[in-house]
Amino acid sequence: MKVPYSYLAKHVDLTGLTPEMVADKLTFSGAEVEGISRLASGTGLVIGHILSCVPHPDSDHLHVLRVDEGAKLGVHQIVCGASNAREGLKVIVATPGAKLPQIEIKPSIIRGVSSDGMCCSLLELGVDRKYLSEYQASGIEELPEDAPVGEANVLGYLGLDEVVLDVSVLPNRPDLYALENVAKEVACIFDRAYTPETYPSYKERPSTFKVSSDTPDCPLFCGKVYRGVKTKPSPQWVSRLLSSCGIRSINNIVDIGNLVMLLTGQPLNMYDLDKLSGNCLKATSSYQGSFLAMDGSAYELQEGDLLIVDGEKPACLAGIMTSDACRVDENSKNIVVEAAYFKGAPIRHTSNRLGLSSDSSLRFCKGINPDQSAHVFELVSYLLKELAEVEEIETTVAYDTFAHQIKTIDVSLSYINGRLGTSFTQKEVVDALTRAFFKVRENGDLLHVEVPAFRIDVDGKADLTEEVIRILGYEHVPSVLMDGRVEPQGLKPEQAKLRLIRDYLKGKGVSEALTYTLVPEKWTKQFAYLEKQAGPQLLNPITVERSFVRTNLLPSLLDVVAYNANHQEKDLAFFEASAVELPNGSQGQRLALVLAGNREGQGAYLARPYNFYDGKGLVEGIMERLEISPNRYKLLPWSLGGEEFHPYQAAEIRIGNQLVGVLGALHPLLCKELGIKNGVAFELDLKALFDLRSSPKKASIPPRFPSVKRDFAFILPSEVTFGELSREVGRAHPLIKAVHVFDVYVGEHLPEGKKSMAISITLLSEDHTLKEEEILAATEKVLNAVKAKFGAEVRG
Amino acid sequence: MTMAEMAKALKDKALAALNGVADAFSLDGFFSSYLAKKGEINALMSKMREIPNEEKAEFGAAVNEARNEVSKAFEEKKRALEEAALAEKLKHEAIDITLPGVSYTQGRTNPFHAIIDEVTDIFLSMGFEVCEGREIETDRFNFELLNVPQDHPSRDMQDTFYFPDGRLLRTQTSGEQAHRMIEGGKGPIRMISPGKVYRHDDDDATHSHQFGQIEGLVVDKNISIANLKATLELFAKKMFGEKREIRMRSSYFPFTEPSVEVDVSCFKCGGSGCSTCKGTGWIEILGAGMVNPHVLEMCGYDPEVYSGFAFGIGIERVAMLRYGIDDIRRFYQNDVRFLKDF
Repeated sequence: MKVPYSYLAKHVDLTGLTPEMVADKLTFSGAEVEGISRLASGTGLVIGHILSCVPHPDSDHLHVLRVDEGAKLGVHQIVCGASNAREGLKVIVATPGAKLPQIEIKPSIIRGVSSDGMCCSLLELGVDRKYLSEYQASGIEELPEDAPVGEANVLGYLGLDEVVLDVSVLPNRPDLYALENVAKEVACIFDRAYTPETYPSYKERPSTFKVSSDTPDCPLFCGKVYRGVKTKPSPQWVSRLLSSCGIRSINNIVDIGNLVMLLTGQPLNMYDLDKLSGNCLKATSSYQGSFLAMDGSAYELQEGDLLIVDGEKPACLAGIMTSDACRVDENSKNIVVEAAYFKGAPIRHTSNRLGLSSDSSLRFCKGINPDQSAHVFELVSYLLKELAEVEEIETTVAYDTFAHQIKTIDVSLSYINGRLGTSFTQKEVVDALTRAFFKVRENGDLLHVEVPAFRIDVDGKADLTEEVIRILGYEHVPSVLMDGRVEPQGLKPEQAKLRLIRDYLKGKGVSEALTYTLVPEKWTKQFAYLEKQAGPQLLNPITVERSFVRTNLLPSLLDVVAYNANHQEKDLAFFEASAVELPNGSQGQRLALVLAGNREGQGAYLARPYNFYDGKGLVEGIMERLEISPNRYKLLPWSLGGEEFHPYQAAEIRIGNQLVGVLGALHPLLCKELGIKNGVAFELDLKALFDLRSSPKKASIPPRFPSVKRDFAFILPSEVTFGELSREVGRAHPLIKAVHVFDVYVGEHLPEGKKSMAISITLLSEDHTLKEEEILAATEKVLNAVKAKFGAEVRG
Repeated sequence: MTMAEMAKALKDKALAALNGVADAFSLDGFFSSYLAKKGEINALMSKMREIPNEEKAEFGAAVNEARNEVSKAFEEKKRALEEAALAEKLKHEAIDITLPGVSYTQGRTNPFHAIIDEVTDIFLSMGFEVCEGREIETDRFNFELLNVPQDHPSRDMQDTFYFPDGRLLRTQTSGEQAHRMIEGGKGPIRMISPGKVYRHDDDDATHSHQFGQIEGLVVDKNISIANLKATLELFAKKMFGEKREIRMRSSYFPFTEPSVEVDVSCFKCGGSGCSTCKGTGWIEILGAGMVNPHVLEMCGYDPEVYSGFAFGIGIERVAMLRYGIDDIRRFYQNDVRFLKDF
């Protein structure tokens, strides 16, 4: 809402205040001023008269002027470069010390000639170039011959002194869409008198015009007939006021409609009486069909759209746009002015559906004051009389089913102070409310408060509390810590576990990413293992790229990889932990991780490509952090198909039969698409893991007797896994406590289809030091078992 | 030459020979020649049988002295040679200390998560619990229970993503207030709810269809704005520095009454005015207010008995101000060149 400062100054005594001070206080009391704009600015200005103009002795384009700046300042010498400077011209002089938007004026000597100020163009006063003619922009401003020499209020003389406050109106203060109410607000917060405008009353003839409504969406409909209006341009004060408020002046009739709306907040509509069929208007919400609006477009209306019809045809799309057939034009003589109360919801629906909105529809949507028709028409009559020489005014006709009730609220001083934590006196509270145009009756500690009609937002005790504190100021609220009656909570177990894992992964050099929940449809089909189904699709997406709710994280994380690879960063380690909304209505918690390129940052030194086992190691580390012992989960060979993972370097992570994770090297074709050489990724169902009980913790007492290690190297068929070998070795003899692998070799010196695997076994007895023959017996068992089971040969 | 003089001569000869030894191999040769079982010193000692008894004591002492001195000199020589050899070996092991270190660096934190963690820890220390809600929400929890009925003007402030079944992507974490009041115990509440929220906004430098909020809620008997002020003051000091102050400006949110915007004195310039605070000395960091009595009532708390306050912090906004981040989209790009500083 654009608020001209001059309007405020007319109705409120702003002595001693500046626009900045008013803006600041409005902002603190709930009407944020988002900007202060001036048409022009400058201090130390005066209107001068060029008495003489001679060429500068040492320049071919400068002039030396003698300028009369009035009785107070006298005559001064000024050096000026403008080509239009000449004797007899009335000009704007910036005197020494003047501050202009770009410069500060100081006395100076220009090429040996002293100069006591500067003659200005409007550009130099900050006027936007678009408001100036070519000629004005190219030289100093030429004032009219009758310009008063010595006048210091130059901006005022030029009509360029308007300051406009841009007020952001919050939904609870729709009354501030009326300049009258903004002025009341300013009067209230500065505790100054508000002077309302008064209007003469005119003789009115009885009216035969009929208004009605068949819908509760229009509970109040007033109309007034004016005959014999003259359409013409508005006077300057109207067009200036409108343009300060961002509205273009059209003609006096249209401008009056806009002006009354700006002043009172009541949107008006005007009809050409002679174009109406029938001497009546009716609000209805049951019209269906086409509507030809004054913008020339046809709109299809449906049940629920609020429409004003005359005897036969649509006359106006209520609160939004008049029909082309009934609008007022330059030939209109007799007009009907409508001031109605339309409910916000239907106006909003229609306006949104048709993509039509206006200053009027905005006000109806936010809510208007239903109790000011008399005031509104008083103003309309006055303006039509003054600006359009209206000949005959008829009485106001009204359809009114509105429950016009004065709202009253009972509140106690202790309630207000209790809610605020303040210790205001009853007098302070009553004064504050009175300043805000509430009427207060005191009954002991109880206040009986009458709400002014324009404050449609106030309907309870809490609202009054807010009124008091916003008027008296939040600086009066003390700072009081709560007493500690609530037990400290700490993180919930699953929150603590998540924090643990995030910290663990960051400690391992993996960075935490943040990605969007909304994804393209394509991504819902990738890595769809932990959850096969896509999430719901939006009804109103902004773009197809963000139209589905994701149910798996890896596609988003791989997009992060692609983004970085595209920016030449190809060695990457990222994870993301996030909740996911699942199609079955439950909420999952996921962790996705991707490693791409080399394990050591940029450059080749010490670098090695990430592989499956880097991913597996991190999965194992996470399980360890969650205290899930290795025997409770298993990695099974990949059987889920798909084309995201390398088919022979992927694993399903299962607990019992439940799939709790997928892990694998990325498929070479996917790597190519992402712009990386290689990668490994996994996604874990953290919810499933969090829901598991931690494996019980038990101390391991170091053995009393020494353990013995023995190494073996077997040549095995390629398909034998370490897991199988380890299981076979582990159960070969009871003294075997651990089996480790330390080398795996495939290639030269080995037959096709064979591999070599070197393992180390740890032998230990709890109750004695092992004897050589026991060790031999155990190793014999191992050799026999492995030979028998896998047909292995022993190497070396 | 007496036998004793022979022993002395052998000693001198051995020491002279040892003097000429310069490597481990020669030293081994020297040991064999003189100090080994079959070396010259033992050979001389074996002559003991051949000399008269009265000379035996003197001779024995002389040979032993020779052996001791030669042994001692041998040990010294041996140690000197080993030290020299080790020094030589170490010299050959010289490395280029300017080559890069093996990487043990910390993974980076997206500033979004960094802010959540920091704020969470501050409120945990004040006895708040952390409640994370659902992102697909019903109209009832996202709007109606927060005093935003159908067709309420403030719905215009929040463009919403809808699903065909009428549910929506939550536009604010405030819905978690209602969940906590309705689904939690009916006693006092202190909670925060960090999370992602969604608005039907085109992404640009300052808008994002997805962003983060941290909602806070306190409900108890006799809670006032003064408690809100003290709590947020404490938060501001822990989050932005001991010297920070806060101020409140009147504002509007449908679910609080009174509502305030809260500014913190600028943590970049300390309040004297800079580009971060646009010269005002203050930075707007959150919205807050007393829980609207209608909200308490709808959520099963008697507003005549209970009162409460609520606040909401924009996660990216705080991060952008604190770290000087120019564009909200950077949080979601995860560019490693950007993340390396966090």
